[in-house]
Parts: sequence; C-alpha cells; structure tokens
Amino acid sequence: MKFDVVVVGAGPAGSSAALTAARGGAKVLLLERGPEPGSKNVSGAMIRLEDFSSIYDISSIPIERKVKNVDLILLSDSNRVRINVNVESNLATAGRLKLDKWMAQQAEKAGALLITKTTVLGIERESDGYKVITDRGEIGADRIVLAEGVNALVSIKANIRPDLTPEQTVQAVKEVYSLNKDEVNKRFGFKADDEGASWRILGTDPVPYAGFLYVYKDAIAIGVGVPMKILIKRKVTPYTVLDEVKERLGLNELIKGSSLREYSAKIIPEYGFPSWKGCSGKVYLAGDSLGLVDPLTFNGIGPAVASGTLAGKAALETYECSRYETELMKNREIKRVVNARPLVKELVEEENFKYYVKTINDLLHGWVYSDFSKVKLDTSKLLKHLILGMGVLKS
Amino acid sequence: MRIEEKLYTLRYKKDEQPHLAIIDPNKCLKCAEVNGVPQPCITVCPANVYSWINQKIIVSYENCVECGACRVACPYANIMWKYPRYGLGIALRYG
Repeated sequence: MKFDVVVVGAGPAGSSAALTAARGGAKVLLLERGPEPGSKNVSGAMIRLEDFSSIYDISSIPIERKVKNVDLILLSDSNRVRINVNVESNLATAGRLKLDKWMAQQAEKAGALLITKTTVLGIERESDGYKVITDRGEIGADRIVLAEGVNALVSIKANIRPDLTPEQTVQAVKEVYSLNKDEVNKRFGFKADDEGASWRILGTDPVPYAGFLYVYKDAIAIGVGVPMKILIKRKVTPYTVLDEVKERLGLNELIKGSSLREYSAKIIPEYGFPSWKGCSGKVYLAGDSLGLVDPLTFNGIGPAVASGTLAGKAALETYECSRYETELMKNREIKRVVNARPLVKELVEEENFKYYVKTINDLLHGWVYSDFSKVKLDTSKLLKHLILGMGVLKS
Repeated sequence: MRIEEKLYTLRYKKDEQPHLAIIDPNKCLKCAEVNGVPQPCITVCPANVYSWINQKIIVSYENCVECGACRVACPYANIMWKYPRYGLGIALRYG
C-alpha cells in the first residue's frame, strides 16, 4: 500500500501537516506512537488562539480557561518582583491530550487516515519514493513529514539532522494537581468559571530555572525547566529544583488539599533550524524535530502549527528543499525563534541569567526604595544583549 | 513527596522488551571516573530510571517517562534509547 504523504507524529506539527496535505487532496497517512494523539506529549499548555486560526476552525477548540492575567515573577536570593500583565483575549490554557486529539480529528475529517500505537523506526529511499518502516510493518510513501518531536530518532538516523547536546537542551518537569472548580476560582480570585491565569517564573536558586504555573478548569499545573548543562554540572535532579521552587513561592499552600494527578517531563530544544537542515529529498521536518520552540515567549505549539502547516504544503506540492527552507524562514513565528537563537544562547549561560534576574530585581526594588546603590550595571553586557535583542524585536 | 510516589500517578503499559539499555558497562565505569557519581544520566533523569549499584548502572526502564534526557546527557552515547513498541509505555491524561 502506498500513500502520497506519510506524516510521522500526531502532535501539533504532524496534525497540521496532515490536515493541510489532506485538504489539498493528497492521500495522507498520519502515524502516532502513543495510544491516542497527545498521550505522549507534554507542554506548558498556554496557547495563543491566533496560532491555530489560520488553518483550524477554532470555534470548537477544546480549551480549559481563558487567560486574563499573565504574571511574571522574578526571584533572586530573597528578593522578589511580580509583574502582572492584563490580557484582553486570545490566550487560553489547554490540556494536551484533548487539544492534540482535536487537531488530529480535524486532519481525519479532511480525509487523513490516523493510525495510533505505531512507532516509526526508520525511512528508506526507494526508486519510486520512500519506504516507512514501523513496528507493525512497512508502508510506501511518496513524500514524508517527520513531526516526531524533540527525540527525533528517525530524522537523526536518516542523517537529516544531528542529535541535541546538553548545551542545547532544557530539561523540564511538570506536576498537575486536581482541585475542584470552585476552590480553584476561590484561590485565584477568579470571577467566572472560564477565567484563568498563567505565571512565568524566572529564578536563580538553587540553580537558574524558568518555571510556570497554569490554571486548568479543575487543576493547577506547575513546572520548571533547567538547562541540562547546569543540572549535570551541579549534580542536581530536575524534581529537586521543582520542589525547591514550590517551597520558595509558597505553592504548597496554593495547592493544599489537592492531589497530584500527573507527573511528567519533557526536554526542550534550544537549538535547531536553520543550523539544522529542514529537509532532505522529499522528507520535510517540522515542530520540535526542527527545534522550533520560542524560549523567550515559552511558545512551542505556535511554531509547531506554523511549521507543520508549511511542511504539509511542501509535501502536497513536492517542494524542493531550498523552497521549503525559504518558506520556513518567511514565517513570522519561525523567524522569531531563529532570530532569538544568539540571544538565547547567551541568556542560558548561568552567569548572564543570574545577572539579569538579579539586576531587574534590584532595579525595581531600588525604584521602590528610591535607592539604586545595589544596582550594578554591566554596560558592555547590556549593550551586547541589547543589540541581540533588537534582532528579535525586528522579526 | 518521593519520586516513586509521583510516578504512581502515571498510567503505564509495560513493554516486555526493554526500550532502554546500557550498551557498554565499561564506558559507565570510565564515566564515573571522569564525571564522578552520580553520573549525568542519573542526575538528569526525572524518574530515577538509572542507579549506580556495585559499579554498574542498573536501568529500571519500567519507570521511564520517555523524555529522552538520558540519551542527550550521556557523554559516551552509551544508552540504547528507543520508544516502547505498539503504543506501550506511558499514556498521559493532561500532558
């Protein structure tokens, strides 16, 4: 049996690719290794609805709560700053199982065939296309989209891209606590059942980390990501860091009386396209397989949907690789990730990260006390990163 | 809460065939010499899959949450890392 397009992985990138190719009339097979789409996927789970609206009909998108406030919390030593950003609309929290299932369903409705519980082990070039080797047998494909996630074993094995290194990887762990809806509303001061919140936490102790809190309908998700290099160097486990952060922020009080419903982990790529190739022959990579997470805005799903949509179009119209890579670079979401890479590489350095969290903290405390004596301005550092930051803002 | 208690929250369907294994135990000895103990794979693993017992890495692959950190962290590319077959392994509810 042969398909025009075989898509590996039914996450945001894969389902968007399958949907796009199927809508264009291609015979599409969407393969997923988990028992259902989303069952192997982990993310912070705040979504920007506009990331979906270009290809999905978002009137039926399964969201948990609409985010009305995003809080940025900076912790250094004992100092703390909390900045609250009031949000008008279009941000929402979502559970990945429901969200990913919904996306795959949209691809199915457009005519793609979804097969789950099937792991792709490799791809081979044949005279008239490709052979996709799975743990259940082989399938022929004219074109392939690899949206296999951060552990892109097939892409690596096929020599399309290299593996990640600890310097290019953030390790994240996440806990979801269940609590009834009324209690969630009470503890967060929500006025309506669909009102939600999201926190971004940047802290320096015991190691530099970026944390998050998201409020679901009847649950609270808490997590933390730490550069893998720092965990290895300091011999600290990721869950120890999460426990410390919960303690420092008083989160144990916030989740008191709830029960832990799920513990999960994910590695986050901080490197990738365009240093990695996006394509080889008629095989197109998308999403986490390409390393497309925006670490500055914590958005991985947006770039995944954008690159998946482009990969689906590339597969539908049999783009040359250079054309696919050019199209990726033209996309606003993807361009921002790419342009941010030099700055991100600097900011994940322990010394720089600590400097900024502490300096911003000291600046705001200095403003409150009208005493800036504690603020240490490193002008050469600031200038260097300001220039790199301009590159991000321009994209 | 101990990590083992956290792992109780997960639904697992065990693949009888291990999807993780150490390729060459001698490289782990070398790693312990160079990097000290606990080695990178033990440190980064969120599920205590790896432990260092009697100068050997013991792999409890049944606990794996499939994040892939150990594969990236191993300085010797000494971990055979595959996905569990046929949809086995973890199945998340929230993700």
